[in-house]
Amino acid sequence: MSTYDTSHIRNFSIVAHIDHGKSTISDRILELTHTVEERDMESQLLDTMDIERERGITIKSNAVRVAYDADDGETYQFNLIDTPGHVDFTYEVSRSLAACEGAVLVVDATQGVEAQTVSNALLAMNANLDIVPAINKIDLPSAEPERVREEIEEALAIPAEDAVCVSGKTGEGIHDLLESIVFLVRAPQGDGDAPLKALILDSYFDAYRGVVATVRVFDGRIRPGETLYMMQAGSSFLVDDVGVKRPLETPLPELGVGEVGYVVTGLKDPGAVHVGDTLTYDANRTDEPLPGYREAKPMVFTGLFPIDNKEYENLRDALEKLRVNDPSLTWSPETSVALGFGFRVGFLGLLHMEVVKERLEREFDLDLIGTSPSVDYHVYTTSGEMLDIKSPQDLPRPEQIDRIEEPYLKASVIVPPEYMGAVIQLVIEHRGIQDNMVYLSENSVEVTFYIPLAELILDFFDQLKSRTKGYASLDYEFADYRASDLVKLDILLAGEEVDALSFIVHKDKAYTLARGLCDKLKEIIPRQQFEVPIQGAIGNKIISRSTVKAVRKDVLAKCYGGDISRKRKLLEKQKEGKKRMKSIGTVDVPQEAFLAVLKVGDE
Amino acid sequence: MSGMPSSADVPIRCDGHEASWPERLHGTSVEALYVHVPFCVRKCAYCDFSSWATPRDDALMERYLDALCAHLGDACDAGLLTQCWTAYVGGGTPSMLAPSDLGRLVRTMRAAAPHLRELTCEANPDSLTDEVLRTLVKSGVTRVSIGVQSLQDDELVALGRLHDARQAEERVAAAVACGLDVSVDLMCATPLQTDERWLDTLRRACALGVGHVSVYPLQIEEGTALGREVGDADPDWNDSEVQAHRMELAEELLTGKGYARYEVASYALPGKACAHNQAYWSGRPYLGLGTGASSMLTAEAYEALRGPWPRLPKRREDAARVRLTVTSPRDALACNHSLASLDAEVELLTANQAAAEDLMLSMRMARGADPGLLQHARQLLGEETLDDAVCWCQARGLAHWEDGRLVPTHEGWLMGNELYGALWDLAEGTPITIETS
Repeated sequence: MSTYDTSHIRNFSIVAHIDHGKSTISDRILELTHTVEERDMESQLLDTMDIERERGITIKSNAVRVAYDADDGETYQFNLIDTPGHVDFTYEVSRSLAACEGAVLVVDATQGVEAQTVSNALLAMNANLDIVPAINKIDLPSAEPERVREEIEEALAIPAEDAVCVSGKTGEGIHDLLESIVFLVRAPQGDGDAPLKALILDSYFDAYRGVVATVRVFDGRIRPGETLYMMQAGSSFLVDDVGVKRPLETPLPELGVGEVGYVVTGLKDPGAVHVGDTLTYDANRTDEPLPGYREAKPMVFTGLFPIDNKEYENLRDALEKLRVNDPSLTWSPETSVALGFGFRVGFLGLLHMEVVKERLEREFDLDLIGTSPSVDYHVYTTSGEMLDIKSPQDLPRPEQIDRIEEPYLKASVIVPPEYMGAVIQLVIEHRGIQDNMVYLSENSVEVTFYIPLAELILDFFDQLKSRTKGYASLDYEFADYRASDLVKLDILLAGEEVDALSFIVHKDKAYTLARGLCDKLKEIIPRQQFEVPIQGAIGNKIISRSTVKAVRKDVLAKCYGGDISRKRKLLEKQKEGKKRMKSIGTVDVPQEAFLAVLKVGDE
Repeated sequence: MSGMPSSADVPIRCDGHEASWPERLHGTSVEALYVHVPFCVRKCAYCDFSSWATPRDDALMERYLDALCAHLGDACDAGLLTQCWTAYVGGGTPSMLAPSDLGRLVRTMRAAAPHLRELTCEANPDSLTDEVLRTLVKSGVTRVSIGVQSLQDDELVALGRLHDARQAEERVAAAVACGLDVSVDLMCATPLQTDERWLDTLRRACALGVGHVSVYPLQIEEGTALGREVGDADPDWNDSEVQAHRMELAEELLTGKGYARYEVASYALPGKACAHNQAYWSGRPYLGLGTGASSMLTAEAYEALRGPWPRLPKRREDAARVRLTVTSPRDALACNHSLASLDAEVELLTANQAAAEDLMLSMRMARGADPGLLQHARQLLGEETLDDAVCWCQARGLAHWEDGRLVPTHEGWLMGNELYGALWDLAEGTPITIETS
C-alpha cells in the first residue's frame, strides 16, 4: 500500500458514557485483528496507567494501529483512539476527535442514553465525524437493544436502525462493527506532497528519549532525520524516530498522509511541546496552522503541598512533567501558614483532581496534602475592584467586600421518571434552580438546571448516585457568574486558625457545615498527647466545636529478654504513620483531614 | 515531682571500670548473659512470649538444657564471657525444670562466666518449691524474679495464672527467707482490677519484704487467648486512661515505701536495682542463648561468635553493633549440641544507628542520658539534629535537663513511644536484617 493512498485508512475514536464499555470493545478489536494474541491479552489493554486499570476508567486517550482483513478481501489500516468517558475529561475527548474521521458511539444496552452519551455525540457531530452507533452488553439478560435504539434516534437524532449490537465481553458483533467502520467512516484526505501539516494530539515525557508526541498527519509525511517546526511554540527539533503503537511501539520509515503515530522529538524540556500545536517542515512551512484545541478551563482549584517542604521543587518538576500530556493542568505558587510552600492547582473537575494527585504521589513518589477544593470566585471590593479568588485564604476582610459572585453551571441529569422527584429535591438542597424537563423517551427524562459549581464539587454527584440507585447520569458546562451570600468558615485546631482548612460557604449552610466538619475532623484526627479542641468560626464568632480527647498513655511493650529490635520495629511503624501526617503546632493532622469537607455527611 | 527517680546503682564492669560510651562499642566480651527456658506448665491468657506448655516429664527439657549448656561452652571458648558480670535465666518458667536440670544449668553458667556478681532466675509461685529454692541458693543464684502479677484470686484466674494469692504470698516470703534478692512482677489494667484492689496488691507485695517490684500494664497481644477473646473491642479495663492512672498509683505507693523508680517499669529499695535490667538500657553488650533469645554485640564480639557459629552472615564494614535473635525452634535447638547449625536473624546497626538507639533506650532509665552518651551522640548524629530533637521533646514535656543529663519526665514515660520515637528517628536509615539460610 502506498503511503499516498489513503483509501484503506480509517481513523476513529470510540466514545461513550463512563462504564458503557469502550475499553472492553477496544480489547476485543485488538484480539479479533490479531494485534494482540489472546494469550497475551490483559483486560483494558489501552489503559496503561495503573490508576486506569485499578479504577476501571480511561483517563488518557491512547492511539493504536491495527490491520483489519475485511470481508471485501482488502486489508485496512485502523487507527483506533480510545477516549475517556468521565465528564471531567470531555476536553480529552474533543482532542482525540480532531484526529479522526469517524466515531463509534457506544451505548450500554441496559442503561440507554446517558448524559455523556449526549455530550460525546454532540462533540462528534460538531467535529463533523461519521458516527457508527453500537449497542453494547447485549449478552446481559437485562439488555433492551430495541428500547436503546429508539432512545438513540429520539434523544440524539442519529439514525440507529443499522446500529450494531455487540458484546465487548463475548466478542459477539465485533466483526460486524469492524465492517461498519470500513463502510461508514470515510477515508482521510490530504496531499502527501504539500508542506507538512500534522496535529499533536498527545505527548508524554520519556527520561531517555525526551518528549514523545502522538500526531495525526493531514498533509505531507514525517521521516526520521527531518527538522520539524512547531508553529505555536515557535521552535524546531530533529525527528529521532517515528512509528506506531500495535500496541507496543513499532518504528516505521515514515508517517504518511492520514496516518496516526508517534514522533520521538528528543526534546528534554517537558514544556517544549504543546498538545494541539501544528507540526510542519522547518524549511518548507505550511501557511495555515490547524485549528488546534479550545483551551480547557480549570473549574476546581485546590492547594497541593508536599508534607516535607524540601520536596517543593520536586513537586514543581512533577507538575511540569504531567502537563506534557495534560495541558489542562494549571498552577501558581501558594503559601500557607500551616502547610508551608505549595501550589494552587486548577483542575477540570474532582476526578481530574484525584487522578492528578494520585499520579503525583505514585509516579513521582511525593507525599502530598491536598486542601479542600474551591472554585474561582469573583470578589467585588468596596473600592470597586474585581478580584479573582481561587483560595479561601485570599479572601479580603469582610468589611472590604461589596459582593461575591460565584460560577454557576448549566447541568443536565438524565434519569428514569420515577427518580425525578428525588433529583429535583437534591437540586434544591444544593441551591440549584430548575430550568427545563424533557422526556427523551418513555423511560428517561432529562432535567436541566443551574447550580453553583461549588455545590456540585462537594457531594452532589455521590448523592445523586445514591438517591437514584445509580440510574442518574450527569453532564454540565459553565453558565455564568451570579452573586451569592457567601462567608468564609475558619477552622481552629487547639486554638490556632489553620488557614488550609478554611472554606467558602453559603451563609445559610455555614452552621450545618461547621458542625459536620468539626465532627468529621474529630474522627479523622487521631488521639494524641494533648487534648485537641476543634472549632468552626466565622470571623471572630465560634459557631461549632468538638474535641479530640488526649491519650494519657501509649503502649509500652515489655522488651522481653532484651528484644529491642521488636520495639524499634513498632516505632518504625509509628513513624511511617506519622510521615503521612502534618504537624501543625503540636497537633499531628492526617492528610485526609484537609479534604474532610468532602466527607461531611458520609457515614 | 514526687517519686522522680534518683540515680540508682550504676553497673560497673567486673574489672572495676565503667565502660565509657565509645568503649561500649568495643571489646570481645559481653557484660550480660541471658539464657532462655521456653517451657511453661500452661500458657497464660495474655502471653505472647517465646514459650510453650510442656508436660513436666517431657524429655525435651533435658535435651534442650544439654544443648544450651553446650552453647554456653562454645560462647565461653570464644571469649565472649570473660567480662560478663550479670546473668539472667528467663522464660517461660525456669522454676518448672527438674531441680537437677536447673542446678546444672546455673552451675554451667557460673563456670562459663566466672565473674558474675548477679544471677537472676525467673520463677512462678506454683513451681517455686522449697526444693527449687534450695537448688537455686546452692547453685549460686543471687536473685529471683517471681511472676506474681496480682494478689487477687479472681484476677489471677482471669489472667490464666496457676497460683492463687495465698500461694504467691507464701512462696515470695519463702524466697525472701532464703536470703535471695527477690523481685515480684505485678500487672495493672487487667480484667476485674479496680484502683482499690490494685493498691491492695501493691501494699501486700511490699509487706512481703521484697527489694524490687516490676510493674507493667497488661498488653492485649494478637494471637493470644486474651487477644482472641477481646477481638477488636477496646475493653474499658485496659483503657489508656486506666493504664496511666494505675501506673501513677503504683508510683505513688511504692515511692512512699522507699522504692525508687529507677526504670520506667522497675522500682527498687536502695542497692536492690537489677543490674541486668539496666544493662539492656545502657548500651552494654549482652549475649542471649536459647530459642527466641536476643543478643546485642559489638563488632568484635560478633566476629568472635562467628568462630563457633560460622553460619552467621558476614558483617558489613560499617556495622558497629549487631543484634541477633536465635530463631531455631526449641526442638531443633535441642538437637544441636553446638552453635554451628543454629538459625538466627541478624540485624546490623551503623555507629550512627547505635547512638540513636542508645539515646532511645536511655530514656527508659530514670537517670536518662548522661553527659558521656550525649557527647558521643552529638559527634555521631550532629549537634544541631540532636538539639532539635531534644527541643521537640522538651516542648512536649517529654524530657528535661537535670545536671547535664537529659531525663525523661513522668509524661515522657507515659507517652514512651513519642519520646523513644523522637530519639530513634535521629538514626540515618534502618538497620539491615539478614537471616541465616
